[in-house]
Amino acid sequence: MYAPLLANRYLTSRIIPMIAATAVALCVALVIIVVSVMTGFLDMVRTSGKTLIGDVVATHDVTGISYYQEFIRAIEALPEAVAASPIIETFGLLQMPYGPGAGARQLETVQVWGIEPESLDRVANYRDKLYWRAPDAALAATLLPTDPRLDPAFDRLAQGMSLTNLSGEAGVVLGIEISAFNERQPDGSYQLETPVNDILPVFMPDTSGVTLTLVPVSDRGSLGGEKKRRFAVVNEFQSGVYQIDAQRVLAPLNIVQEMLRLDPAPIVSTTEFEANGRPKVIGESPARATTIVIRAAEGVTPQALAKAVREAYATLVDRLRNDPATATVAFTMPNQLSVMTWEERLADLIGPVEKERELMRTLFSIVYIVSAALVLAIFWAIVQEKTRDIGILRAVGASRAGILWIFLRYGLLIGLVGSIAGVALAWIIVARLNEIHGALGSPAPLWLRIIVCVAVAASVFMLVRGAMRASALRVVLWTFATLALSVIAIALVLHQGFMVWDPSVYYFSRIPSQLDWVTASTTMVGGILFSVVGAAIPAAYAADTDPVQSLRFE
Amino acid sequence: MTTLLNASNVRKTYRLGRVDVPVLRDASISIEEGEWVAILGSSGSGKSTLLHLLGGLDRGDSNSGPIQFGDEDLRKFSPRRENHYRNRDVGFVFQFYHLLPELNVLENAMLPALVGLSRLRWHREKSALRARTTELLTTCGLAHRLTHRPSELSGGERQRVAIARALINHPRILLADEPTGNLDAETGRGILDLLAERHAAGLTLVMVTHDATIAARAQRQVRIVDGRVV
Ligand SMILES: Nc1ncnc2c1ncn2[C@@H]1O[C@H](COP(=O)(O)OP(=O)(O)O)[C@@H](O)[C@H]1O
Ligand SMILES: [Mg+2]
Repeated sequence: MYAPLLANRYLTSRIIPMIAATAVALCVALVIIVVSVMTGFLDMVRTSGKTLIGDVVATHDVTGISYYQEFIRAIEALPEAVAASPIIETFGLLQMPYGPGAGARQLETVQVWGIEPESLDRVANYRDKLYWRAPDAALAATLLPTDPRLDPAFDRLAQGMSLTNLSGEAGVVLGIEISAFNERQPDGSYQLETPVNDILPVFMPDTSGVTLTLVPVSDRGSLGGEKKRRFAVVNEFQSGVYQIDAQRVLAPLNIVQEMLRLDPAPIVSTTEFEANGRPKVIGESPARATTIVIRAAEGVTPQALAKAVREAYATLVDRLRNDPATATVAFTMPNQLSVMTWEERLADLIGPVEKERELMRTLFSIVYIVSAALVLAIFWAIVQEKTRDIGILRAVGASRAGILWIFLRYGLLIGLVGSIAGVALAWIIVARLNEIHGALGSPAPLWLRIIVCVAVAASVFMLVRGAMRASALRVVLWTFATLALSVIAIALVLHQGFMVWDPSVYYFSRIPSQLDWVTASTTMVGGILFSVVGAAIPAAYAADTDPVQSLRFE
Repeated sequence: MTTLLNASNVRKTYRLGRVDVPVLRDASISIEEGEWVAILGSSGSGKSTLLHLLGGLDRGDSNSGPIQFGDEDLRKFSPRRENHYRNRDVGFVFQFYHLLPELNVLENAMLPALVGLSRLRWHREKSALRARTTELLTTCGLAHRLTHRPSELSGGERQRVAIARALINHPRILLADEPTGNLDAETGRGILDLLAERHAAGLTLVMVTHDATIAARAQRQVRIVDGRVV
């Protein structure tokens, strides 16, 4: 019956258990925060690139895939796939409606994607990537009151889906980072730049539009004459991957096909001629797309889908070659396409991430080991200090098991309280990470500066009082408090805001702020375990020692 | 008279670095029931060592002779029996009191009674145990100190708590290692009076001291010289 009594007394009669619990909490929180943010970051890098490409991508070179509609029908008939969408990938020049001087037009090199919005939406949730749309309730709750999207006048979802502007002209969707007028805010939103010299902020869909220049490539690799065309800007998209948002332009598939001469065209003979001397038309070359993006059915792995798509293509080509109506073109089609899972397609993006993940694992282990060693050391020191008590208990007949039980309870309770506090702390910090980051990114508010300055003054006052009462402890404590508060005050006054998480360096506009509950629970168990082990080992050692030996311990 | 404790040819050697320091060399002593024995000897002669061996707090060398408690040999005790022996059969009073700083006077004194008490029995016997301990502490002159911590007590008061703790389980024999060694003469006399009272009530007492005048209060004096009891 002495074990609970002593464990409780040890827990309540000194400040050291509080310090130990705080240390456990900080260690647990540190591990959880580091692991959560880093795994969240790596997962985000891995999956964010997936934006707009679905699960599997089938591509051929710039000359495109003929009979792609038949191919898509074949794919959508597969049980492994739910939807497929054609895309033409190419490069182009984009002339912006603004420039460095009056009348100047800035030219950007861009990656152009000809798309079919409806099918792309089925494959890759295209709709959700459009930036100028009325926010749903969940999104609206996170927006600043000044966010232009809260104004229905900025809703261009329908235009983004039809790729035509309000007056029905064909248009393009630009990556949100392409326009120099979209200014990213510290909170991750885009605000239209404030008017300067009465020049109104530029909302891209309201501008006179952009001019896109594309260069067709023949199947022999020679360049055709460049094609220029004006497009309205119908909307902008945000994928969350900076490189994509700053480079990609989405245009209507049929127009891009035309500009690149991938649209349907008659095939003429080089040997036979009509009566009027024109070459004889011997067939029609169908429209082409360079890429097919495909969404897997629920529960189907990208690998399984890729295999099915390869087989579907082989079957299709076979059938087309056996059909006299399509045989001519079918024999020019490649025997197989490059079919890649999204992970293979993004290997250049994912490869370094995988390497970083390995590195992170190593770093995590070090953080883990250091934290565990810290917790162990704290309990070791606390229990070691109790060696004499253990000697006394053994001298009055307490059993080894009884003594072990005291310190197991002790370690368990501190470990439990500390770990729970640590998880709570980590959760609060991780959940507020973007807000904390946003606050770091802007100058400190006035009230905070005033509070800290008042705290410095109060601390100096307490220091003087302590000195007058000749208390060494107070002088030491308040000197440290004054120094720490002064440093904070100076930092706050000098601080003009900085962006740790610069979206042009990192890919995302928001720091991943998902608490990794697996890590949280394993770390919690670890925190408790190391507390218990740290307390139990020296306690067991002391319990095994002859009492006389323990009593001599100083 | 019956013999309560009988040590014969007990050996104890300490190893200091690479040197063996024999402290007890074939020391023999016999304690009769109801007796008050004083063990005298100069500082460092091995008095405490002998007392620790008698109290089951330490073990002799492997070639040491037996210490008999009744017809049992302390060397052959199981861990369980050893705990029981320390807890029930002997009471031990240390020169430096050795109280637990986190417990108050009452709790320190009843600590040996708590050892080996299940939670159930504790709930049933709590009030009886408190009453018994309070009564014992009162006879030791500590009625007004029950809820104080050891750090709030004088040396004499601490030693009284230690004596109460040694007596709480009604041991057959009380072993006291220089119980007055750290106290002034006046306070020491008070402690000796307390021990004398207990002895008069039938307690067997073994007391270690280096002071002949203190030893004079015992019925019999033995002396340790060169690791032997003479
Ligand atoms: N744990 C130990 N390790 C080494 N030497 C010890 C130990 N305990 C006691 N000694 C030595 O044994 C001798 C006898 O000690 P002790 O029995 O305490 O003497 P006394 O109580 O008679 O003053 C002393 O020289 C002491 O230094
Ligand atoms: Mg001694």
